[in-house]
Amino acid sequence: MSAPSKYATPRRALALGPGLALLCGALAVVAFLSVTQGSRSIGLGEVLRALGSLDNDGSITGTVTLELRVPRTLLGILVGAALGVAGTVLQGVTRNPLADAGIMGINSGAAAFVVFAITVLGVRGVGVYVWFAFAGAIGALALVYAIASLGREGATPVKLALAGAAVTAGLGSVTTGIMMTNVDALNELRFWQVGSLAGRYTPILTGVAPFLLIALFASMFFGRALNGLALGEDVARGLGQRTGRTRAVAFAVVAVLAGAATAACGPIVFIGLVVPHVARLICGPDYRWILPYSLLLGPIVLLLADVVGRVVTPPDELQVGVVLGVLGAPAFVAIVRYAKLSEV
Amino acid sequence: MRAWRPILAAAVLSAALAGCGSDSDSAGETTASAGPWQFTDGSGQVVKADKAPTRIIAHAGEAAALMSFGIKPVGIFSDESVKTDPNLKSLDLTGIEILGEEWGKIDVEKAAALRPDLIVGDWWPAEKAHSGMEEGVDEKSKKLAELAPVVGVTQGKSIVQLAEGYEDLAESLGAKVGSPEIAANKKRFEESVTKFKAATAGKSGLTVAAMSPADDKVYVANPTYAPELLDLQGWGLDVLNPASPDPGFPYWENLSWENADKYQPDLILWDGRSYTETANAEWGKKQPTWFKIKAAKAGAVVAWPAFWLHTYGDFATELDKLTTAITAADPNVGA
Repeated sequence: MSAPSKYATPRRALALGPGLALLCGALAVVAFLSVTQGSRSIGLGEVLRALGSLDNDGSITGTVTLELRVPRTLLGILVGAALGVAGTVLQGVTRNPLADAGIMGINSGAAAFVVFAITVLGVRGVGVYVWFAFAGAIGALALVYAIASLGREGATPVKLALAGAAVTAGLGSVTTGIMMTNVDALNELRFWQVGSLAGRYTPILTGVAPFLLIALFASMFFGRALNGLALGEDVARGLGQRTGRTRAVAFAVVAVLAGAATAACGPIVFIGLVVPHVARLICGPDYRWILPYSLLLGPIVLLLADVVGRVVTPPDELQVGVVLGVLGAPAFVAIVRYAKLSEV
Repeated sequence: MRAWRPILAAAVLSAALAGCGSDSDSAGETTASAGPWQFTDGSGQVVKADKAPTRIIAHAGEAAALMSFGIKPVGIFSDESVKTDPNLKSLDLTGIEILGEEWGKIDVEKAAALRPDLIVGDWWPAEKAHSGMEEGVDEKSKKLAELAPVVGVTQGKSIVQLAEGYEDLAESLGAKVGSPEIAANKKRFEESVTKFKAATAGKSGLTVAAMSPADDKVYVANPTYAPELLDLQGWGLDVLNPASPDPGFPYWENLSWENADKYQPDLILWDGRSYTETANAEWGKKQPTWFKIKAAKAGAVVAWPAFWLHTYGDFATELDKLTTAITAADPNVGA
């Protein structure tokens, strides 16, 4: 825990506002790249014509631009933002620098519900799985929170981490158990093994967008509460904060953010882990700044990785989860090695 | 067989391959000849034993091939449930231990209890491995190779060679390969080939591509590593050779959905493991660019028996279906 004055010098605070505007610009550039670049080379003029008319004339370039790249880019922006913010809130509320969707049971909950849907209900199709994954993610997170809340002192960071690990392990073994006996479920679930933005189109985008937009909006008001929690349970309470309620509300929002993101694109864990650290590196410990920075850094990183994955191996593509792993891991090591990470 | 993997994401296991394996015969009387035994494996190695092996563990299609000659294995491992595996689903497997029903997972402890003296699995030249022991399987599964010598016919240039290879193997193991049933299957197969050749000769200019659409990309099969496609090419069908197969896994060229229309065949041979009657319409709805392939839009699709054929009988049945589709095809769809 670091005292605010150590990092948030007035000079820095003054620079953060313009920095945010700069990030908005960067996001616009990356989004432009995401629409104009891809495994199929389409001339800039054709892309712009398709965008300008907003009418798919039936040509392949029009279809690729309007029905593949635009929804993919929008989904990338939303999911990147959701993962970045969800990671930030989770790390703040649990005061655990390694917290992300993966260790809070979200991914395993989503997978378990998809397997349940395939084997017990016999449903098929990515469009349907999204809703089961969403429900599973929320259910798992609720379970983690409920388990951690048992006992007199409520959901403390340590208990949350332990409950998350336990629920992840439990759901994981249920999923594996079913998959061992049902090859069909295994085959269908491979879709979720590596996070990807490919093959997700308008129906998935419009399905998850309302949840993500509302939850993102709500999460922007957590700054003060997270700042309080960062000072420690007792101090926060001493400052008049109702820490239990803060945590419950924050968890609900994280469940929606990470649940919808995972449902739409599969487990993309790296963003939720690293983006909050980068944001904290830039902003210092004030969550009122960290949150909007995460909101913009998340999609920038995700879209950049996706664009890289799309252009490196034409006519093929690499899944964004693979690119993030290959490029992101060394980048994270570099950050840890050369920049002093501010503590949670 | 590893060739299954990349398309498994999309696999809705095929129900369209009914009627295969009618050439089976489970009368397992094996009269192995005394004296030393040897067989040249697909890898080129000569495997020797003091006497012909009798306790055999075999991979799905290889087991079906041996059983068609009356050699009954003691154990079988397959890549999917033996009730749906196209090679096994119509065979009587009573008395045979099932050692695995999922790609890459073999119960080696159970296998060891069977005291096998021979393991039979196809040799995959692209991966330099036998079925069940390829890159990517459970490490434990590979221990199967420590139980007994492994032999297999190479998944090389032709299913005919593959079938002949298993005939040779069965013969070396003591099977009588001259039975009337086997001769009848061969004759049926030859008739099917003749009809197939006639159909392709009557459709000059018809090009086909073997494809497998999946959730995040489209796979185009590379005939070089698909013996049944090489056979079809040899019999006059213009099966398209993709320009840049995946160097690490050359069975396929991977196309992102943005590039789905890279090839414009007149007829799509659809991976039989994921083919259904309604699959084309479903993918057209799900993937905005699938119908940019004109053949797909025109509904010119037919199931392709991908990577599983091992016997004359199965190949004959599948060839007849292809012949029907080719006869009905319009060679100008993809133009």
